Amino acid sequence: MQAIYRVAAATFHEAWRRRFLNAILVFAVLIIGSSWSLAYLQPGAELKLLIDIGLGSIRFFGMLIAIFLGVRLISDEIEKRTIHTILTKPVTRAQFLLGKFFGSLATVFSNLALMGIAFYAVFAFKAPGFMNKQPTDQSAGPAFSTEFIYANIAKAIGLTFVEMMVVTALAIMASTLFSWIMAVVFTFFIYFAGQAADFFKTLGNPQRGTGMFSQVVFNTVYGILPHFEVFDMREAILKGTYVGWDVLAQHVGLGVVYTVLILLVGYLAFMNREV
Amino acid sequence: MGRSEAAYLTPMNRQRGKQVLGWVMVVVLLVVIQPLAKLVDYNRTVLGMKSPTSITRIVDFDPTAISGVVMGAALGGFQGVAASMLWIKMEELWDSGKGTWLACMQVMRDVTLLDPHWLEPWKILGWHLAYNLYVETKDPAQQAIYLAKGLDILKEGISWNPDTYELYTELGWTYFDKVRDYENATKWFRAALQFPHPEYIERMIAHAYERMPDLDRALDWYDYCLKRYPNDETAKGATTTLRLRYLPAWRLMQAGQYDAAIAKIDDYLTAEPNGMIALHIKAHIYEQAGRDDKALEVWTLAARLSAMDVEAKRKVAELSAKLGRPLSAQELAPSFLLEQKEKAIPLAVPQHAKD
Repeated sequence: MQAIYRVAAATFHEAWRRRFLNAILVFAVLIIGSSWSLAYLQPGAELKLLIDIGLGSIRFFGMLIAIFLGVRLISDEIEKRTIHTILTKPVTRAQFLLGKFFGSLATVFSNLALMGIAFYAVFAFKAPGFMNKQPTDQSAGPAFSTEFIYANIAKAIGLTFVEMMVVTALAIMASTLFSWIMAVVFTFFIYFAGQAADFFKTLGNPQRGTGMFSQVVFNTVYGILPHFEVFDMREAILKGTYVGWDVLAQHVGLGVVYTVLILLVGYLAFMNREV
Repeated sequence: MGRSEAAYLTPMNRQRGKQVLGWVMVVVLLVVIQPLAKLVDYNRTVLGMKSPTSITRIVDFDPTAISGVVMGAALGGFQGVAASMLWIKMEELWDSGKGTWLACMQVMRDVTLLDPHWLEPWKILGWHLAYNLYVETKDPAQQAIYLAKGLDILKEGISWNPDTYELYTELGWTYFDKVRDYENATKWFRAALQFPHPEYIERMIAHAYERMPDLDRALDWYDYCLKRYPNDETAKGATTTLRLRYLPAWRLMQAGQYDAAIAKIDDYLTAEPNGMIALHIKAHIYEQAGRDDKALEVWTLAARLSAMDVEAKRKVAELSAKLGRPLSAQELAPSFLLEQKEKAIPLAVPQHAKD
C-alpha cells in the first residue's frame, strides 16, 4: 500500500506540473465561465443551453485531461528509462500501475472539482435570471423543469468523474501497449466508439435483417466496448427527473467493473512488456 | 529434468499461471458486466435518461442526416451548441431563397437528431414538409409522401417530448388543417389536453367535430369551452351559428327524416350556396340515407368550390372507388392516398385515371 501511495503521490505532483494539462484546465474554466454568453443561441431555452454547455464542457475537457495524462504515464517512464530505477526498488509492476492510476485519478478528480465549482458559480449567478425567462403563462406549461436541479447537477458531475475513471484506466492500459501517440489515437477511438455503443447494438439487431455473422460481430463489439454514454446524465437534469441513489450506485458499479477490467488487461500487457 | 532446471522453470510457470488466471478473470468480468450494463440501460430508458442524440437511429435516416449525428457524437458534450449553430445555418439557407428548401429540410433534420428536446425544429420541420414541400410538387403521390413525412416527424418529436402539449397540438393542427382528417385531429388535440395548455385547444376540438361533421360532439365541446372560459367569444359565436344554421337539419337526420333534413339544409344553402360546413352536412345526410350517388355529387361540388377542401376531395375519391366511378388524377387528394397507405389497402384507381 505504501508503495502504491508513493507512486500515486509522485504522479499527482508531477501531473500538476504539466503545463498543457494546466492550459486545458484554464481553457475549460474559461469556457464554462462564459457559457452563459452562448445561451442567446436558443432563445427561451437559455437555462437548458447553460446546463448543456457547462456539463458538456466538464465532460469534454475532463476526457482530454484524463487521456493526455494517462497515455504518457507509462510510456514516458519507459522512454526516459526512469522505470528501471523504480522497478528495481521493492515496487512490483502491479503496484506501479495502480500507483500511476490512483495518482492520475486524483489529478482528474481535482480538475473536475475545479471545473464543477466554476460551473456551480456560473449557474448560481446566471440561472435565476434565466429561470425568470421561463414562460410566465403557466397555462402554456413549464418549458423546463427545475425540480431536483441542484442535486442532479452534483450527481451528473459525480458520474462524469466515474466516466473519467474508466477513461483514465483506458489511457493507462493503452500506455502499457503503445507509444504515447498511438495510445492517444487508440483511447480516443475507443472513447468515441464507446459513446456510440448503442449503434452496434442496433446494427446487430436481427429485426434489421442483419446476417448471423454480422450479428455475432456487432453484438460482441457492443458487449466489449465500455458504454460511455451511460454516464451522461444531462437528460435527467433537463427533464427534472429525480435520479435515485440506487440507480446512481448501479452506474458507479458499472464504472468500477469497467475500470477493474481495463486495468487488469493493462496489467497483463505490462507483465509481458520488456522495459 | 535436473533440480536446477526445475528451479529455473518454476517462476516462469508461476508467471504463466498468473497470466492464464488474469485472462480468465478478464473473461469472467466481461460476462459479469453484461447484466449490469443491461440493468443500467433499462433504468436509463425508464427514467428518460437516455442520451439526447440517439446515435443508434442513424441507420434509419438518410445519409445527409448522418453527418450531423456523427458530428454531434464526436463533439460529445456539445450537441446543444452544434444544434443551435446548425439552426443559424438553416436560417441563412432559408433566407437565401426557396431553391434551398430541400437543403433546409436536411439541416432541420440534423438539428432534431442533435437536440431532440428542442421543440422548435420539430415543429418547423413538420410544417416545412407538410406545407412548403407539399406545394412544391403537383404529383399527388409525392404530396402524400411529404404529408406522411411531416406527420411522422411530428410523431417522432412527440416520442422524444411526450410531456408537453406543443407537438400534440402541432400534429393535431396538421391533421385538421392540411390532411383534413378530423378524426385524427381530435385524437391529437385531446392528447394535448393532458398537459397545461392554452385555451384554444378545446375550441379546436369543437371545430374539428363541426367540420367532420358531428354536431352533437361539436356542441358538447363548445359548451365545455364556455364552462371553462365563459368569456370565450369565439365559442359563443360558433355555438349560436351551429344551433341556428345546422342543428335543425342534423336533428331531422338523426330522426331518420332525411328528405326534411335535406330541405332544411337547402334553406341555408340557398342563401349561402358555397357554405362548406352546410355542404358537408348535406353530403353526410345523403350518406346516412344510403344515397351514395347523391352524396358523391355534393362532395364533388364542395371539392370543386374550394381547392382547399381536402376532406371533400377525400370523400370524392372514397365514394368514387366505392361506386366504381372513374376518378381523375386531380381529384385524388393526397390525404386520401395517405389514408390508403396508412390502412395498407391497395388503391383501386381505374387505369385511365392514372394517366
